[in-house]
Amino acid sequence: MRPVRSFTKTADKVFTMVTGLCASSPIVFLVVIALMVLVQAIPTLRLMGWKFITQTEWNFGSLYGTMQHIHGVMVPAGATYGALVFIVGTLASSVIAIVIAVPISILTAVILAYQVRGRLQLSLSILVELLAGIPSVIFGLWGMVVLAPWMQHSLGPLLIHIGTVIPYFKGPVGTGMGLLTSGIVLALMIVPIITATTRDLLQQVPTLYREGGLGVGMTTWEVVRLICLPYVKDGMVGAVALGWGRAMGETMAVLMVSGNATNHLPQNIYSPTATMASTIASKLDSALGDASKMGVHALAELALLLMVLTLFTNLLARWLVSRTGRGRRMRVKVSA
Amino acid sequence: MSKMTKWMVGASAATVLVTVVGCGTANNASGNNSASGSNNTTSGSSQKVTLAETGSSLLYPLFNGEWIDAYKSVAPNVTMTAASTGSGQGQSDALAGNVQIGGSDAYYPDAIMSQHPEMLNIPMAISAQQVMYYLPTLSASTHLKLSADVLAKIYEGKITKWNDPAIQALNSGVKLPSLSITPVVRSDSSGDTFLFSSFLSAADSTFQPNTQESWPSVQAEVGAQGNDGVVSTMTKNKGSIGYVGISWLDQGTQAGLGYAALKNKDGNFVLPTSQDIQAAATNMPSTIPADERVSLIDMPGKDSYPIINFEYALVNSKQANSATATALKNFLNWAISPTGGNQSQYLNPVHFQPLPSNLEAASQAQISKIQG
Repeated sequence: MRPVRSFTKTADKVFTMVTGLCASSPIVFLVVIALMVLVQAIPTLRLMGWKFITQTEWNFGSLYGTMQHIHGVMVPAGATYGALVFIVGTLASSVIAIVIAVPISILTAVILAYQVRGRLQLSLSILVELLAGIPSVIFGLWGMVVLAPWMQHSLGPLLIHIGTVIPYFKGPVGTGMGLLTSGIVLALMIVPIITATTRDLLQQVPTLYREGGLGVGMTTWEVVRLICLPYVKDGMVGAVALGWGRAMGETMAVLMVSGNATNHLPQNIYSPTATMASTIASKLDSALGDASKMGVHALAELALLLMVLTLFTNLLARWLVSRTGRGRRMRVKVSA
Repeated sequence: MSKMTKWMVGASAATVLVTVVGCGTANNASGNNSASGSNNTTSGSSQKVTLAETGSSLLYPLFNGEWIDAYKSVAPNVTMTAASTGSGQGQSDALAGNVQIGGSDAYYPDAIMSQHPEMLNIPMAISAQQVMYYLPTLSASTHLKLSADVLAKIYEGKITKWNDPAIQALNSGVKLPSLSITPVVRSDSSGDTFLFSSFLSAADSTFQPNTQESWPSVQAEVGAQGNDGVVSTMTKNKGSIGYVGISWLDQGTQAGLGYAALKNKDGNFVLPTSQDIQAAATNMPSTIPADERVSLIDMPGKDSYPIINFEYALVNSKQANSATATALKNFLNWAISPTGGNQSQYLNPVHFQPLPSNLEAASQAQISKIQG
């Protein structure tokens, strides 16, 4: 056996410790952040209880008035924190984004995976991934300057006609800043994620299966619809969930195009809205001006809620994506 | 992820890094240049100090456009920076010690002052706020007459059309369009919101003076960040109405917005002209509290414009070191001096009015409390 020098032994221990520390950092960060947000949220949890998620009125109270004591916590007079508007805004804008983004992403992914080759495939793939790299504030700026006026003057008045079938499309269109505009901007931001993931999934479909499909006389559309898409179904749901999580957490772009509504739920698809993330960003300065600190606690509870929601969708996504891997092996066995 | 994808992600990340680093160096270089330039003029006699200001977007044009440049020649060793972040941010930044000066249209609330007695509220100038609207069918010389009562009804959603009888009654002879009203509010914590809600609170108890008003539920309402955000949101929406600080009056009118004549305490409709703002200022209470936290909304007098206010510099009386404290004191004394920052050449471009002379002693007493 080779003699081991004491230096090597020490180095080995240091190595174990450093890697251990680094490897545990993600879980440590997650737990620490979650705990801090939870601790910060406790006073509002006590003050508002379930009303936090069922009430539409969000009021920091009279910051210039006297402080009151309610349920053992100090709050500015008239303060009440109901996050329903922001919860609905978050869910509605992200669902609109998903509805728009999913068909675009899947069709793009099919083209990228099967229909184009070589340089064209490479350059298209690069373009899609570049889209993912654009800072969200640029999407927001575009949404504010280009999309919102277009929504107000052109697209909105056109979509009103759908209102006879689906009531949510009924006017008035308003300012162009609102739910639908937010949804479209979010859709653009999540298309690259869903497209890239779906493309990678589609490329995992064994060539043999597709050739077999073509061999029995299926058209390209039939191969995609009947063989490829069912094969990657679970993974695709995961990809969509990933995009959904991103859409719910997006802050800056939504802040710029949502119209920052407070205290009222959206009436139609054009109504001004606000999401949990955009509210945390836009109301933090007000909260910091609250001598009772209750505003900050309320935003912390909003953050906690958002964190739970996005963690949940992310876990769902990971679980569904990982199932595809197992599913493939299983299918191979069945077909063999 | 394919190999190609990994490569691409790496490459784009590298590009981003290079760009960021590039920006950093450029900034540093320019910073060094100005610093060394100032060194030459003072021949290194006084220590270099940086004073940072954040806050009020109403105060920002005065700081950034006028005072910073002017003060370079007064005290070359002092580098000043200003940022338009909204009064609420100015309040919290000064409180947290992030900046030396918090700019705010609103003084600190009592609750904050009792927790932080070390904070000072020092008036810098007299400002005003106008109510603006986007009605392109009206001529620029027409100023709609509006009262706190009507404005409160608009912001409560009780008046939703421009040709509502209540608005028409105040404006006989003006052809008002049958357009929906889009009320625009500030979504950030704002001194302008504080002033506007103070004005509305006199007519309607739904509103309380607040930097972050919980606005009544109005479907058409839109929130915008900063005075600049309000102006740009308004110009995109015909029929919009909003409250805008006086230093943004020119930007607003150039963008096609009109501004209202507001009903004052004596029942007259007055425009935010320098005479009418001065008229209100001369009617302010003769005894101003020692901490100079006072509302100037709805001053009496037949010509008094109803929404005027002090623009405050919020400073901590305990500064990090004596050099910063001295520089801060010198700057504040210069800023409030009628031969310094309160000269009309600096105030006129942003439509501010100079501080009344009887205020100087109180302000100087407050400034002398600043220590390093």
